[in-house]
Amino acid sequence: MSEFIYLFRGGDSSGSPEQMQQQMQKWTDWAKDLGAGGHLRGGGPLEKDGKVVHGIQKSVTDGPYLEEKDFVGGYMLIEAGDLNEAADLSKGCPIFDSGGRVEIRPVLKINM
Amino acid sequence: MSEFIFVYRGDQSALSHEQATEYRQRWINWISKLGENGHLVDRGQPLLPTGKVVDGKRNIVTDGPYAETKDVVGGYSLIEAKDLDHAVEISAGCPVFEVAGLVEIRPVIKLGV
Repeated sequence: MSEFIYLFRGGDSSGSPEQMQQQMQKWTDWAKDLGAGGHLRGGGPLEKDGKVVHGIQKSVTDGPYLEEKDFVGGYMLIEAGDLNEAADLSKGCPIFDSGGRVEIRPVLKINM
Repeated sequence: MSEFIFVYRGDQSALSHEQATEYRQRWINWISKLGENGHLVDRGQPLLPTGKVVDGKRNIVTDGPYAETKDVVGGYSLIEAKDLDHAVEISAGCPVFEVAGLVEIRPVIKLGV
């Protein structure tokens, strides 16, 4: 088995309180399914704010990096046989309901 | 204390083999120091510059990471800090700045599950 990161990008999180609750429930159910299958190792959602520290001057700007359709809204650490299995496992993700995407990245194993 | 994710973005492809080895050692030193100072909840993971992007609504799977090389997420760590400004201060020694990269600092949403 290998480790992969899911980066959740875009998707529209606005809606009525009922819609948001339904959406949250879908995420919870999906995460439980991944956990039950032995695939979920960690992760979680991120607030929409933040700061970015840039380059050699270390200048600081407010807000997340990239605009809303592209920024990372959350992440998960996943265990899967290979990249293709990791891509297949992502297909139940609720972010697709609102037009978002999942970026799947292999973890570089290091010993430290 | 609150939790923050540091998302590291930077392109190290221009480094020579020796420079890359030194650069990796500076990352190990920096991460070790974060741990010694009690700021590190999870050292996180460095990521390979490959992957796939799944756009499920349109049923499209593309190869490679999302975004251009300079913007690609190269790794992340889970950090504990008093607040967002404190998290910014903690990021100051990060080796990614040596390759003109950046650290994106994002507050984690606490879930009750």
